Amino acid sequence: MARSSHDWCLFLLPMAAVASPVHASDYLTVPQAQVLLFPAAKSFAEQTLKFDDAQRDRIKAAAGVRQRTGEQKVWRAERDGQSLGWFMVDEVIGKHEFITYAVAISPDGQVLGVEILSYRETHGGQVRDAAWRRHFTGKTLADHFKLDDDVPNISGATLSCRNVMDGVKRLLVVHKLFLAKA
Amino acid sequence: MHELRRMRPLLGTFVEVGARGPNAAQALDAAFACIAAAQDRWSFQDAGSELSRLNAAGGEPLAVHPATVRLLRLAAALMRRSGGLFNCTVGGALVQQGVLPDHGGPPALPRGCAEDIETGRRWARLGRPVRVTLDGIAKGMAVDEAVVALRQSGATAGWINAGGDLRVFGDMVLPVHRREDDGHMTPLGALRDAAVASSRVPSPGEASDPAFPGCLIGPPEHPPRPGIWTVLARTAWRADALTKVAACAAPADREALVASLGGRLLMQGEHAT
Repeated sequence: MARSSHDWCLFLLPMAAVASPVHASDYLTVPQAQVLLFPAAKSFAEQTLKFDDAQRDRIKAAAGVRQRTGEQKVWRAERDGQSLGWFMVDEVIGKHEFITYAVAISPDGQVLGVEILSYRETHGGQVRDAAWRRHFTGKTLADHFKLDDDVPNISGATLSCRNVMDGVKRLLVVHKLFLAKA
Repeated sequence: MHELRRMRPLLGTFVEVGARGPNAAQALDAAFACIAAAQDRWSFQDAGSELSRLNAAGGEPLAVHPATVRLLRLAAALMRRSGGLFNCTVGGALVQQGVLPDHGGPPALPRGCAEDIETGRRWARLGRPVRVTLDGIAKGMAVDEAVVALRQSGATAGWINAGGDLRVFGDMVLPVHRREDDGHMTPLGALRDAAVASSRVPSPGEASDPAFPGCLIGPPEHPPRPGIWTVLARTAWRADALTKVAACAAPADREALVASLGGRLLMQGEHAT
């Protein structure tokens, strides 16, 4: 159905130019993501896996992507002493994005869900700046739900989520090599 | 009144859903389930998707979901009405170029036409060995279906942004920016009860950026013009499809053609040459 051009003024209102170099959103805190991904869990037992160089090489060989850090924090989701699976938090630092995400993995190595905790999109080196790392520090959703402030309502060339999917693949390898029961 | 928003990696990009209403959390779940179902049906990359099975069916009718029938019919109608500037049967050419994966089967024609797509109430069939690729409009349709899911779940307002295909509904205005090639953000305006989509056509010889993998090919006599093409429409599938029409149309006809097909070209995308 064609519409005359003046109709469109109802759908796209003029907007003052806001200097908004940062398109950033925090969606979930770690505890919020844990409850969302493992609604039946009663507790989350935290542990840190430490990898030596040989283990990092094994992860890379199996996942095809580099294990950037020497350790990975994981949480075992539990209910009445039973393991419901594993919860892991990871970061992607790409050319255009800095993303923190959480993955839930079942005891037998299936991805139960992926949630983005924090999304920063920018250009150039800004994402590597330490200031960018102040993510999900005890904020609640209500604190930062402001439509007109730093919300990434961006249209444009579509940014690939491949970095995150590669990260999920790597965490599945970490699960298989270090957490799955033989 | 609850307001929630959340983001998940889906449809090859990052999908943000926001909802306002008494059951905002359930509404978000319903919207994401809808988008995940769209991904399962219409992904070209996934050899097991309904779309890939249709492409591999060798001209036999394939039972498909009614939403797939609806999308194929909309796509074929727009192919006809745009004189082929929009074309969803170019999967063969994209496979040849290495942009899309080859799932095997007999070699495909580089491109086909609207008549190659036949549909019945719950089936579809390709009359010639073409490969249908629904990428952009599938993303738009996923957004539109997820908006329905949000509403049915009681959301009074909300929005979905699937990697730049975005739609807002209800009593809400959404400030929208466009990401330019140099990274700066151009304000497009405050979107209300409508959709915006953009497609980027790289300059000839430009090195491809795996972060922005989009690829568009047009009819041989109307190659897409480099730039970012942004269209406003009432639905996301239409906005996305019309970005392709805008990119391939002759400059003199461009705005009028997009308008006649139910959209509005927001910004001239063409790079200064």
